[in-house]
Amino acid sequence: MNILLRSWSAYTRITLRWPGLAAIVPFIPVIALWVAVTESGIFPRAFLPGPVEVSKAFFTLTYKGILPDYLQDSLLRLITGAAVGMTLGIPLGILIGTSKWARRITWPILLFFQAIGDIAWLPILLIWFGFGLTTMTFVIVYTVLFPVVLNTVLGVESVPLDLARAARSLGASRARVLWEVTLPGALPNIITGLRNGLGYGWRALIAVEIIVGTSGIGFMMFDARRAGSVVEILLGMIILGLLWYIVDAWILAPIERATGQRWGLVTS
Amino acid sequence: MKTLTLRNLAKTYFDPYAGAHVNAVHDVSLEVEQGEFVSMVGPSGCGKTTILNMIAGFIPYSGGEILLNGKAIDGPGPERGVVFQSFALFPWKTVLDNVGFGPKMRGVPKAERDKIAYEYLALAGLSHAANRYPNELSGGMQQRVGVVRALANHPDVLLMDEPFASVDAQTRMTLQEELTRIWQERRPTVIFVTHDVPEAVFLANRVVVLSKGRVLDQVEVDLPRPRVWDDLIEDDNFKRLSSQVLHMVRSA
Repeated sequence: MNILLRSWSAYTRITLRWPGLAAIVPFIPVIALWVAVTESGIFPRAFLPGPVEVSKAFFTLTYKGILPDYLQDSLLRLITGAAVGMTLGIPLGILIGTSKWARRITWPILLFFQAIGDIAWLPILLIWFGFGLTTMTFVIVYTVLFPVVLNTVLGVESVPLDLARAARSLGASRARVLWEVTLPGALPNIITGLRNGLGYGWRALIAVEIIVGTSGIGFMMFDARRAGSVVEILLGMIILGLLWYIVDAWILAPIERATGQRWGLVTS
Repeated sequence: MKTLTLRNLAKTYFDPYAGAHVNAVHDVSLEVEQGEFVSMVGPSGCGKTTILNMIAGFIPYSGGEILLNGKAIDGPGPERGVVFQSFALFPWKTVLDNVGFGPKMRGVPKAERDKIAYEYLALAGLSHAANRYPNELSGGMQQRVGVVRALANHPDVLLMDEPFASVDAQTRMTLQEELTRIWQERRPTVIFVTHDVPEAVFLANRVVVLSKGRVLDQVEVDLPRPRVWDDLIEDDNFKRLSSQVLHMVRSA
């Protein structure tokens, strides 16, 4: 008991000093289990390769330049879609959140189209735009847009009335109130919307690449299936998880710490 | 000189739950001199906050008029500073930027408005907190910021809506003393809404007692200044005035 307690406190201390470790250590038992299952020989090696084979595939594909190319393609698509989705979604959300009329008119439409999920658009998009970048971008933008709009509306509505009143009575015009009060007040929710949007967008992208793709991580995985290469499929899956962790931990979480948490708008 | 005039002010609104029109304020007339400190007291529902919100321009009035320096008011404006019960500080701005917000809206350059903000923070003894965020301050300190933020904008009239209702009793007394001190130094015109009778008497030159949307009576407060609680708590004049107002409010 004593040893457990002491090792736990040591772990806490070490991860406080090197926070990166806290992200890696929990995976040790997962990988151990993986190794145990593959080594036990329950499944044939071609069905379930071990970490060593997957790492080898990682280095080979990186060396050949395929993996970096595919990764870049996927990320670019996601970034483009997210950027367009934000540029459309945040102003739209602010408009709907501040105007009773805009809200009344657009809300049913928003809910209707939100229900027609990203992938459900694919059949018609493929007829309209073919197997190309337009189709992919459309799906990503569509997926990112709704969480951003809905959360922005929520954020705008959560800004206390007294803050806008204070700004007005200090001489701010309505337009200034939008910039000085509404936007920063809604920011924590906008970030939540972005986080959800990127998460859904990332999944949608992989699905679209599998169906439409000529490149990208999703395409790599599907192509590997055709070739019967479980190693590459596993590699693709691991990359998906890793990339999301990086986006969340290195980009989204720091923004949240610097804004909403710093201002006391959200508790950490 | 009259700064603020309310003439037959009335507010009627439609209550969708009751399905009827409600008269929150009817026929309130009031003159406020420049540099005067007026307290408005009354039981809850007497319309005091509604009157203040109409003067601030936050809600439209349905009858009569509100004149500031002879001109009818139209919506909120910087000549009417407001201090809120909820403090209403901008959480994403430092204390310095909160106080400098009014000057910023006037187009005062950053260096100059920082100077103004520092001057007013010093007035409230808050210079050390300039670079903190509001959520890092106690309630009492937050409301000090709220008061000087409104003052730093040089309003013609300062509207205070139960500003000390949500701080603890000891802090409240300190804030009341500080407010009278600041008022004596700067002589702003103040309308102070409260349901706390001793507070109303302690701060004001004049106490307006409201009841059911009307002015019930007015009481002049000629207590000497500076006013501090340690003296006034035992003062016969203060006790007499307080109980006089209290009886009015209780019977209202």
